[in-house]
Amino acid sequence: MSRVLVVDDEAPIRKVVRDALERVGHDVETASDGEEALARFENGEFGLVVADWNMPGIDGFELVRRIRKRSGVPILMLTVRSEERDKVRLLDAGADDYVTKPFGVAELVARAGALLRRTDARAGPALLAFGEVEVSPDARTVRRRGKAVHLTPTEYALLITLLGKPGAVWTHRQLLTAVWGTTAGVSNDTLRVHMGSLRRKLESDPDRPRWIRTEPWVGYRFTPEG
Amino acid sequence: MRRRWIGYPAATAAVALTVGLLKLFPGLADSTIALLLLLAVFLSAWLWQSGPGVLAAILATAVFNFFFLPPLYTFTIQDPRNVAALFVFLVSGLLIGRLSAVARRRLEEVEAERRDLTSLTRLSEAFLSDTNRESLLGVVVDRLRNALQCEQVALWIGGETGTVKEAAATPGTRIREDLVELAWRQGSSASFGSELGGTDIYLPVSIGVQRTGVLVARGMRSSERMAEGCAVLLGLALERERFLRLAREAEATKASEQMKSTLLATLAHDLKTPVAAARGAVENWIAEAGASEKAGLALEEMKRLSRRIQELMEVVRLDSGVAQPRREIVQAGEIVEAAVSRFGDALEGHSLLVDPAASNAAVAVDPAQLTEALGHGLENAAAYSPKGTRIEVRVVAEPDRVKLQVLDRGAGVSASDRERVFERFVRLPASRAIPGTGLGLSIARSLVQMNGGTLSLAGAPGGGTLFEISLPRAIR
Repeated sequence: MSRVLVVDDEAPIRKVVRDALERVGHDVETASDGEEALARFENGEFGLVVADWNMPGIDGFELVRRIRKRSGVPILMLTVRSEERDKVRLLDAGADDYVTKPFGVAELVARAGALLRRTDARAGPALLAFGEVEVSPDARTVRRRGKAVHLTPTEYALLITLLGKPGAVWTHRQLLTAVWGTTAGVSNDTLRVHMGSLRRKLESDPDRPRWIRTEPWVGYRFTPEG
Repeated sequence: MRRRWIGYPAATAAVALTVGLLKLFPGLADSTIALLLLLAVFLSAWLWQSGPGVLAAILATAVFNFFFLPPLYTFTIQDPRNVAALFVFLVSGLLIGRLSAVARRRLEEVEAERRDLTSLTRLSEAFLSDTNRESLLGVVVDRLRNALQCEQVALWIGGETGTVKEAAATPGTRIREDLVELAWRQGSSASFGSELGGTDIYLPVSIGVQRTGVLVARGMRSSERMAEGCAVLLGLALERERFLRLAREAEATKASEQMKSTLLATLAHDLKTPVAAARGAVENWIAEAGASEKAGLALEEMKRLSRRIQELMEVVRLDSGVAQPRREIVQAGEIVEAAVSRFGDALEGHSLLVDPAASNAAVAVDPAQLTEALGHGLENAAAYSPKGTRIEVRVVAEPDRVKLQVLDRGAGVSASDRERVFERFVRLPASRAIPGTGLGLSIARSLVQMNGGTLSLAGAPGGGTLFEISLPRAIR
């Protein structure tokens, strides 16, 4: 299906991640440190990189930066750190998502799948339908249960931005830059208000959103499988 | 200025010597004689200042008349023109004497100021090269004694408690402590003639309006201005030393915090990695071999172990002081949203009601820590109330406080146990069957208190528990 590069210095974790991803049909290669990962990355096409943050030598953070210099491949990070500041730093450096150890295998597979579909989707039409919602970019219209939903230009821009990278986490700063063009003068509160109203229009239970998820103190994520 | 009287006989001698010399060369013109006598006046005034200068001028006029104006060796004057000449001579002599004395005095003043400045500069260099208090205090009195040309020096420094104590003194120094107190309390200086000769001076040492100590010099020959200069320098040196000390302490604290933080990160990594691997292996095994009771049990236990490790790490972080809050102003609604999103899984079996009425109210807290604290409230509500019942999350804004509340429809906690459950590892007998470590509420309370709030449990209206975080309301 898709080739995945798994990078972790801990052999048991490599084995667990490999088994889980191979079981759902992915083709997995592993590397035990950053150097090896970069070498393998040079010689092959990958649809996804899964990397640990804490590694001796080139750590995960540095690995993300080096990969980003040459490729836009989706990157899913494994980390024991739970501090939001660290996660924001990781995402701003170019990672697409993270899973906090100890993680559930189902969660890992789901996150990896979401990021991989993005690469697959490049060939076919972009994902423009989720749950009860359909988006028609040409007409700039959004329908829910077949009925037209009125979105403000900002809400529409936010939705399209989130749909552009299904499964990935957008930091507040990344979203503000993408939608407003600047982080100056626009606060996270503004973002929150727009997200709140977007959810009320598109989600069936806005208090427990399925599609447009909050990543607490980090940002937002569009989850294509709900 | 010492032995000042010697100028008078000296001036007399100078005039006499000039007369003697002039008499050796007879036939000199009157004008030459007058000029040479004026020279003697000038030198007397220069060397011995104005009194002897005036004496020399008067004497010179007298001898000019007596020895050189005809008729010689009388004070009578033959030629009326010479009366005018003599008068002009006297006036010139007095003026020259006066000017010469003034010039000399100015020169001496400038010289003294230069000396003071030089010693102040040396003193400041010496103070600046001392980076710690002990070595500064060790040499300060000797340096001050040289700079102030005095017999005894004492330096008193104010302590944390507001009292002033002797920090350094020359051996055998006796001072009046009442004057030290006065200088310390009121900032008033005192100076008076000393029994050791010179001046005794008591000066407050301050930096701006803040007093740091008192400087005492006894038997001082230097000027008071010099002493004041020394006091200012001393104030600066002490302040600089204090800042250096604070900077060193801050550096040390930072280094140790950093080390703790790194250690904890390593510990977290070492504990979580094997658990993650084990849990993943069991999950993969279930996926391949199909679910079994034994495998399911192993997985459940793995999850519990993960949760406990997380809670233990949190307790260690809180106790180590690494988890200092980084406060920012956020809206209460953001915290609720974050907590529901992060701990939502635990609420799966319940119906959730979020009341957004007052969610705009602002609080100044570490958002992540408050999310964690509220999350423990949600988990608690989910664990101790029957599935399918409603859990309500509310934000209540009061004029100066903001309350985050979680209400459940469980059995509630009896009033007598509502404080006890915040103790570590305390679990009520009735809830033994529900998995947990007894750490959640204690962690939550620590987190809330670190952020300036309070956390309490109360009875919810209609049964159940009200979990309430109360925070000071922030002004945007």
